[in-house]
Amino acid sequence: MCGPLVVSFSLSLRDQRAIVPHLFYHTGRILTYMALGAVMGAAGSFTRIAAHIESVQKGAMCFAGLLVLLMGFAMVGWLPLGRMFGSNVRAGRMLTRAFQRMAESKAFFAYLPIGLLLGLLPCGPVYTALLGAVRAGMEIETVSGSILLGAVLMLAFGAGTVPALFIVAKLTDMGWVRFRDRLYQIGGILMIGVGIYFIVGAIRY
Amino acid sequence: MNSRFACKCAAAILGACFLLLPVKGDDLRAADKYEEMINCDLHSGSCIQPLGNHMLVLSVSPRPVKAMTDLMFEIVVKGDAKLTGLPFIDLGMPGMDMGKNQVTLTKRGEGTYTGAGVIVRCKSGRRTWRATVTVPGIGSAVFIFDVIY
Repeated sequence: MCGPLVVSFSLSLRDQRAIVPHLFYHTGRILTYMALGAVMGAAGSFTRIAAHIESVQKGAMCFAGLLVLLMGFAMVGWLPLGRMFGSNVRAGRMLTRAFQRMAESKAFFAYLPIGLLLGLLPCGPVYTALLGAVRAGMEIETVSGSILLGAVLMLAFGAGTVPALFIVAKLTDMGWVRFRDRLYQIGGILMIGVGIYFIVGAIRY
Repeated sequence: MNSRFACKCAAAILGACFLLLPVKGDDLRAADKYEEMINCDLHSGSCIQPLGNHMLVLSVSPRPVKAMTDLMFEIVVKGDAKLTGLPFIDLGMPGMDMGKNQVTLTKRGEGTYTGAGVIVRCKSGRRTWRATVTVPGIGSAVFIFDVIY
């Protein structure tokens, strides 16, 4: 599920520097994993916590679908939302280069709360990692130790997913392709489909 | 971009999704090729598989077997088996790597081992799971079954 999302982000960022927003997104995602690992480590139970956050996960999935859907509409040009996440941020002639960079980074910072929320997306491998974190935490005698171990294990898991997702995002960067404008528009159509798929999946989850 | 082309694509995608929406999960089961691999119905009771010169019995409680709930796995190794270590169960989905989800078992009686575990839920909606029971010194047996979400 992370794959379609990072592809969508890459497509929507177009010719902008894509590393920083992706870093913010992955940081938010990993922070959420760590929080889940810590809470489940403290509780000593995966199923109890998972049952409590199920409705939130459905909401996160729906939000992800809406986000990708809107990005897709913006890319195709049906909605003027391309500037929402910092793409095409323009600085006036009076602004210095440093201020322009700050303006861009402020927009890119929006990817951090997005990552925090989308870290809650239901995902089999994440569940399995959380199970492992809970089992490891149960070996620790103190609650604080279980919390720390749960968080650290999920940090390691999340960090392990980043290189592959960065590669996926980089492959989507079509700056070298000749007819990339047409490809971006086709990508927008596909993103609309992905967004709908996520929303339907959230309804049926 | 040719807006007609974009409209047609979007209409096709939207139309496909609205057709899919009323389809219930059960209707999609027929399309799951992994269901043909099912060799076990854990909802009804125990399952038996040959294991070398022995028989291996697997049962899960509570029944019916649901994902995302605490489950108790029990195996019974029938016959005079010489184990070189404690058995364990690897849970996974046929055709999909969900990461390592291993249930460690402890001895409860002669040839009987139990352990707690969880079958996680797959966002894809697929409900066919695989339990690979490894008995050190003897071998492994594979049980493929459905779970309830």
